[in-house]
Amino acid sequence: MAPSTVQLLPLAIVAGMFALFILSGVRTRTRQTSEYGFTGGYTGRVGIGAAIASNWMSAASFLGLAGMFYLKGYSATAYVVGWTGGYVLLLVLMATQIRRFGKYTAPDFVGFRYESEVARTLAALIAIVIAVIYSVAQFRGIALLVSWLFGIGYTPAVIVGASLVVGFVVVSGTMGVARNQKLQYFVLIITFILPLMLLNCKLGYFWLLPQFGYGAAISDLQQQFDFSWARPLTGDSPFAWFSLCFTLMFGTAGLPHVLSRFYMVPGIRDARWGVVWGLFFIALIYWSAPAYGVLARLFEARGGFPFTVTDPKAADMAVLSAALNGGLPQWVTGLLVAGGLSAAFSTVTGLILTGSASFSYDIYPRLIRPNASETDKVYAAKGFFLVLALVALGLSLRPTAMMIAEIAALAFALAGNTIFPAFLLGIWWGRANAAGVISGMLTGVLITFAPLVAGTSVPIISLLFPATSSAFLGAPVVLAVMIAVSLMTPPPSKEIRSFLSHNVHESPEE
Amino acid sequence: MSKRGCNDVNFFRPRGTVMRGETRLITLVLAGWLLAIVGSQSLVYLLVHSVRKGILSQWTLFNLPIPCWLTGQFLPLWFIILCVVFNIWMDRHASRDLDGTMRFRSRTGSNGEE
Repeated sequence: MAPSTVQLLPLAIVAGMFALFILSGVRTRTRQTSEYGFTGGYTGRVGIGAAIASNWMSAASFLGLAGMFYLKGYSATAYVVGWTGGYVLLLVLMATQIRRFGKYTAPDFVGFRYESEVARTLAALIAIVIAVIYSVAQFRGIALLVSWLFGIGYTPAVIVGASLVVGFVVVSGTMGVARNQKLQYFVLIITFILPLMLLNCKLGYFWLLPQFGYGAAISDLQQQFDFSWARPLTGDSPFAWFSLCFTLMFGTAGLPHVLSRFYMVPGIRDARWGVVWGLFFIALIYWSAPAYGVLARLFEARGGFPFTVTDPKAADMAVLSAALNGGLPQWVTGLLVAGGLSAAFSTVTGLILTGSASFSYDIYPRLIRPNASETDKVYAAKGFFLVLALVALGLSLRPTAMMIAEIAALAFALAGNTIFPAFLLGIWWGRANAAGVISGMLTGVLITFAPLVAGTSVPIISLLFPATSSAFLGAPVVLAVMIAVSLMTPPPSKEIRSFLSHNVHESPEE
Repeated sequence: MSKRGCNDVNFFRPRGTVMRGETRLITLVLAGWLLAIVGSQSLVYLLVHSVRKGILSQWTLFNLPIPCWLTGQFLPLWFIILCVVFNIWMDRHASRDLDGTMRFRSRTGSNGEE
């Protein structure tokens, strides 16, 4: 897939788009000062939804999902259902309650609700590990696109990609760039759907709604090449589908950078309606992603390629492969690459910044340097940002058979096994205490990594808790551990139980 | 082991009308969420195992094979509908609660007790 020359026009489009983000970010920053004075920074429910969707869209959504559809056909619908269904859990069980707690990070919430520094530190460490795993998936996506843009191999592309991420953060930080997430979502949706419309148009399919138009390609694959792309449950068992789907749902409702969106919205109603708009914007992308997987297959079939491709890197490039083999103009391919890079860049910078904030706010002043000043914390955050970027870079260089979406699913499994149960019981069961949440989160960590460490020697572990899908059975086990340990140990203080009862569950909405 | 606190929050034993109504709604939404996921996959499983290969991809809805439409297109749409229903109900009850609070305040205010 990687050409030997630099793709000049696509590269110019990518550079132009990032310049647009930086300029608009600088403008947003200066405008916000006056807006805050009159409206309190209110951007509207649609704006909150666009911010949720833009925050959510990563390389896993932009590239990985189409890759999974390309490789696995119907089985990949577990990703679509998991990544959208999780927002129902988030809305009905957590969004408004989190807002009422008035805390700003997941470790902050855990520390306050469970009145425990140990629980807070453990949550911070888990948040950092989730950030690293999720970043590895993003670096992989960035490297694949950079490899194509510059005509270089995967390993140098990872290094160039990581350097660009760090450079982007430094430039943004130096210029005080605010993230214009509405613009970013707008760019993402245009760059994802426009090429798809053009591809459908070229093929003579219904192009106005390419989310439905690609159905003709499924029929063509079946009739012309006897390739049954849409036949369900052929490779994977129903258990595999359900375990992946529910793991992604529990993980969605437990990912620290997703939860953090709800701490800062202006009001509870805005938080709730923002979720609905966010889910709609996310669904627009997910309704379209399978089309790229199917079209990539169709173009390859017409080009005489066999259907036996199992290389995860080739599958992760299905979006680009469809555009290139479909004969789209270079500027359209450039837009697609720019969209993919934008999704991956925004997610990876957000994740690493969240991870470094967890370190500098929750770990550094509490465990390493109790007398740390604000300046020390800022330096610690900057230093840890580089450390996290290097760790993610190192892990991305290691060869793996996992695809982008599968690496992301591992992060979801960890979040679903640890943060999700901690929040769920923390909000809905006043009796849950520090001992319970610490034992629960430790059990969750064990369940997540057991299949990776001992899965081959003890096959039952991989059978019950598959690496990317362990939270389906893992989260209920963690909840049971939390309940049992909480009941066997003293209850939380009267103050926190009273706070939960009166401030979180009985206060009227503003 | 100690006894359950007098004001402990418990999803399965909600206290007060607000929380009772909210948990009932959450239960209904989650039931709709779970039934749709399990029901759609059961239907897909039945279709796969009761229909001859090839026929399945010919049965289409909105141009897509039925299993693909049902799982990939309908379920996300259903989740959006569930979220909208939840929000509308919550908005109505929040307005009612707020109305009640304001009436209470104005009445006490007119008596000069506030």
